Amino acid sequence: MTTTHPSGPTAARPSDGPAVALRSLTKTFRTRAGEVTAVRGIDLTIQPGEVVAVLGPNGAGKTTTLDMLLGLTDPTSGSVEVFGLAPRRAIATARVSAVLQTGGLLHDLTVAETVRLIASTYRHPAPVDDVLARAGLTDLASRLVSKCSGGEQQRLRFALALLPEPDLLVLDEPTAGMDVTARRDFWATMHAEAARGRTVVFATHYLEEADQFADRIVVVADGLVIADGTTAEIRSRASGRTVRATLPETLSFEERHQTLVALRRHPGAASVTADDSGRVAVVATDSDAVARVLLVDVGAHDLEVVTGSLDDAFVALTSAPTSAPTDASAPQEESR
Amino acid sequence: MNTTYLGLEVRRFVRDRASLFFIVALPAFLYIVFGATQDGSQASVGNGNVALYIMLSMAAYGAVTATVGVGGTAAVERMQGWGRQLGLTPLPDLGFVVVKATLAVLVALLPVALISVLGALTGASGTAAAWALSLLAIAIGSVVFALFGLCAGLAFRSEAAVSAASGMVVILAFLGNVFVPLSGTLLTIAKFTPLYGYATLARYPVTEGRLISNDGSDLGTDPLWVPLLNLGVWCAVLGVVAVLLVRRGRARQ
Repeated sequence: MTTTHPSGPTAARPSDGPAVALRSLTKTFRTRAGEVTAVRGIDLTIQPGEVVAVLGPNGAGKTTTLDMLLGLTDPTSGSVEVFGLAPRRAIATARVSAVLQTGGLLHDLTVAETVRLIASTYRHPAPVDDVLARAGLTDLASRLVSKCSGGEQQRLRFALALLPEPDLLVLDEPTAGMDVTARRDFWATMHAEAARGRTVVFATHYLEEADQFADRIVVVADGLVIADGTTAEIRSRASGRTVRATLPETLSFEERHQTLVALRRHPGAASVTADDSGRVAVVATDSDAVARVLLVDVGAHDLEVVTGSLDDAFVALTSAPTSAPTDASAPQEESR
Repeated sequence: MNTTYLGLEVRRFVRDRASLFFIVALPAFLYIVFGATQDGSQASVGNGNVALYIMLSMAAYGAVTATVGVGGTAAVERMQGWGRQLGLTPLPDLGFVVVKATLAVLVALLPVALISVLGALTGASGTAAAWALSLLAIAIGSVVFALFGLCAGLAFRSEAAVSAASGMVVILAFLGNVFVPLSGTLLTIAKFTPLYGYATLARYPVTEGRLISNDGSDLGTDPLWVPLLNLGVWCAVLGVVAVLLVRRGRARQ
C-alpha cells in the first residue's frame, strides 16, 4: 500500500497525523417518536494507507458515522478530524471524497456530463476521460443516467469520487445492488486505487468483502465499536472452532446433565449448547482437547469440527454487544 | 460563478420540453386573454399606454412563475440525494444558490421576451427608455422569486411544496397589484408583499410611481425607494434562508 503512482494522491505528510481521527463521537436524532441515538461513542484512528472495513448490521450507525466523517452531518458530541482538518475543510481541499449509498444523481444528464459537472467544482480535477476510463465508463459516456443500470450508476458515483484524486476514499456499501460480476469488477478497480496509496474506508454488511479487501475490520453494532483488528484476529477472537457430537443414548437425564456441566467447566470450551436429541455443540478455544473429552471420556459419536467462519464471528460479536470489548484500545463506555 | 454547472443546467432545461412549453407559453396566453384584447388599452399612462402597463404586469407574472418553478425544482432535486452528492464537493452552498438563481433568471427571460413581442404586435407602446428599463427591472428582480421557490421547496421538502409555492404566487400576484388595481387597506398590506415591489419596479419607468385605480381616482404615487426597499429586503431575507436550508439539505432526508 506504499506504492507511489504519478497520478496517485499527494503523499501524506507526516505532520498531517492520522487519516481519520474520531473521538468520543455521538449522534442523536430527534424524531417524532422521541430521541434516537445512532452513534453512542465511537473512537477510531485510521492511519494513512490503511484499507479499513466498517462492518455491522443495518442500523448499527455505520452511515451516520461516515456522514459525520464527511461533514454531511454534525456530531452531537465528540470530534472528527480528517488529516488533521475539520471534515468540511478536508472536502473543500479535495483530501477526501466518497461514494454514498444514497448519493443522488441527475437523471437527465449523461454520464460524461455528470462527471464534467462535478469536476467543475474542483480546482485541479483529474481529467474527465481518465476518470471515465478508470471507472470503466468510457463506452457509456454519452448515455443518460436514467438509462444506466444500478451497477452502472454506482460506477458513475465511483468515477465522481475519483475526480479530486483524494487521499482518503470513503465508500458506504459501495456494491449494494450489484450482481456478482459487477461486484467483482468493482473490487478489482478498488484494489487498483488502493495500490496508488489511497486510504480506503468502506462500510459493508457483506462479510466476504470485508474479509477479502480490508487489512483491518472495525465491527460496529448498536452505535459502538465492538471489535477492531485484522481479519484473522476478528475471526479467531470471536468464536474459534465449533465441535459437535452426539452423546451416548444410554446416558440418563442426570448423567447427561453432569456431562454438560463438566464440559462447560472445561478450560478449552467457551460455550456449550445441547438439544433434546442429545446433540451438543461446543464453541471451543481448544477444539482438540474438547474432541478428546467427547470421544474418550464421554463416549460420544458422530463428531465434527467446524472452523469458525467470519459470519459466526460476526453473529457472535453483534448479538452480544454487552460483552467486554475485544480490543484494549476500545473505549471503556462499551462495557455497559 | 461556476459556468460549467450553469451551462449544463441550461442544457437540462432545454431537454425538458414539457415544462419549457408551460413556462414560456402560459403567461403569453394570459396576456392575450387579459391584456391585449381589453377595451381602452390604448389610453395613455405616463410614458406609455395601458396595453404596455398590462403587458409589463403579465411579463412580471410570467417571470415569477418561471423562477419559482426553477427554484422549487432545484430544491426537490437537492432533497432527492443530489444535495448529498454536491456536499462531497468543494462547491459552496452559496455557489449552488447562485447557479440556480442565474438559471432561473435566464429561463424567465423566455416568457418575458415572448410577451414583449406579442405586446409590441398588439398595441403596447411607450418610450424606448420605458420599454428598456422596465424589461431590465423584470429580468433582474426575478432573482428574488428564484430564492422564494428554493426556500419553499427546501423548507417543506416535497414536490407538493413546490406546487403550493406556485399557488402562493397567484395570491401574491393579486396582493402585488399585478392583476387588478388595489385600493384602501388591501393596498397598504400589499406594499409589504414581494410581488408588489417587483411589479411596481417593473412598471416604474412607465408610471413613474403613479398608482393606477379602477375608477380613475387618485391613489397617489410610490417613490422609487418603495419598490427598491421592498425587493431588497425580500432578496436579503430569502437569500440567507436559502443558504441555511441548502446547508441542512446535505444530511439524509
